[in-house]
Amino acid sequence: MELFKPEFGLAFWMFIAFLCLFLILAKWAWPFIIKSMEERADLIDKGVAYAQEAKSQLDNAKAEADKLIASARDEQAEILREAAKMRNELIEKARGEAADEAKKVTEAAQVSLEQARKEAEKQLRTQVGDLALQIAEKVIRKNIASDDAQRALVDQYLSEVETKN
Amino acid sequence: MKKAITAIIAVAIIALMAFGYNQAAGHRAHSDEQAEMNPQEIIFEHLGDSYGWEVPFSHSTRIPLPVIVRAQDGSWHVFMSSQLEGGAQYDGFQIAKGGDYNNKVVQILPDGSQFRPVDLSITKNVAGIFIAALLVVLMVFKVKNWYKKNGMKAPRRFTAALEVVVDFVYTDTIRPIMGKEAPKYGPYLLTVFFFILTMNLLGLIVIFPGGANLTGNLAVTAVLAVITFLVTNLTGTKHYWKEMLWPEVPTALKCPVPLMQVIEIFGIFTKPIALMIRLFANMMGGHMVVIVFMLLIFIFGSMFGTAVGAAMTPLSVALSLFMLLLDVLVSFIQAYVFTILSTMFISMAHVHAHAE
Repeated sequence: MELFKPEFGLAFWMFIAFLCLFLILAKWAWPFIIKSMEERADLIDKGVAYAQEAKSQLDNAKAEADKLIASARDEQAEILREAAKMRNELIEKARGEAADEAKKVTEAAQVSLEQARKEAEKQLRTQVGDLALQIAEKVIRKNIASDDAQRALVDQYLSEVETKN
Repeated sequence: MKKAITAIIAVAIIALMAFGYNQAAGHRAHSDEQAEMNPQEIIFEHLGDSYGWEVPFSHSTRIPLPVIVRAQDGSWHVFMSSQLEGGAQYDGFQIAKGGDYNNKVVQILPDGSQFRPVDLSITKNVAGIFIAALLVVLMVFKVKNWYKKNGMKAPRRFTAALEVVVDFVYTDTIRPIMGKEAPKYGPYLLTVFFFILTMNLLGLIVIFPGGANLTGNLAVTAVLAVITFLVTNLTGTKHYWKEMLWPEVPTALKCPVPLMQVIEIFGIFTKPIALMIRLFANMMGGHMVVIVFMLLIFIFGSMFGTAVGAAMTPLSVALSLFMLLLDVLVSFIQAYVFTILSTMFISMAHVHAHAE
């Protein structure tokens, strides 16, 4: 039974062939293939994880956008309210200032009016005094004999004064 | 419709085969030398090794292969096997017929006795091994070059099929068993797997470059088993040897009579021997059954006449075809079994701590 007697020559060449095959493949092929396959498996795993994450992010994005819009609205309302408040304040302030100014102007006007009045009074007094002095001078100068004559004279001077004024 | 056409074609082919057989048998009956058919011889001729490589449709024409022998006086002789065709003698060498060295090259000594020289001939099986190795290199480098060129892109067609097998063997088998050590022993185990698979499948192809019964030869499987044996035991950890030589069992089992040690050491050798026999027997058995089914035609023909043999043809062909298809499956399974068992033996030799 030839089949059950291992041939030395065949075993020898088999050993050589296997050794060469193993050395060639182990040096140049298998490590590279294994590494590449593992890298690709990792890449695919990462890709799947990334896709899942992206999907969940997409799902969240709408909710986030809604939230964002809501918060923007709140902010807008807040800003508007603030603006209104500020405007009112500004108006209040302006009004107050205007009132103050007006008051000041009125006061100044009153002061100057008072002064003018005082001036006029003073002037009037001086003029009245002057007139009285002139009248008295003229009365005295004319040596008035009668009452009538005196009265007529006074009237005359008074009308003179009046026309003068 | 399609089925009907297939059936018609099949019947036609079978009828043609029967006709051909009829013709051949008639021719044979007319020829002068009507040799008695010896099924055993035919089977073993087909399963065994030879110095030339048969080509189809001819029993005598063979592809010559180099014969390398070392004569008794220590000189090496290299010549082509065609010099020894038909029992011719060359340089004092001849292919023996019968006797201890049937179908082997022997040296005829001056006194007429036969001397079996050291025979390193590139026989049909050796050439088959080289072809298988070359094919494995080509296939594996195809995958490698794909990765080199295309990086992370998924391969297509044949490369993809190869990659699936690599992935199946490495990622699904070697890595779960070996764990961290997978990258270290992966190349060896993958080489074993692809080499065995290629040799198995080549053995199923009946014409050159196939047809050599490689893994159905004890020498081939023995070499593979011995390599696994060496890898297992030379890389074994201290713990592995301690488990073997002083296992944690009741002292009575190991002290005066080293019962456990004997069993363990016996186990070291039975493992690779089982590997060797399993692959050998499976592949050889498959081949043998295929040949026997084909031979049934001729056995029936010679026993009950030509007509019975012809009638046997469709059944024989169908059974052979079935066995060949089964052998394709067996080829893969046996290559895988050899690899997974080697993986387990190696990983079992790498125990570090006792898992309580």
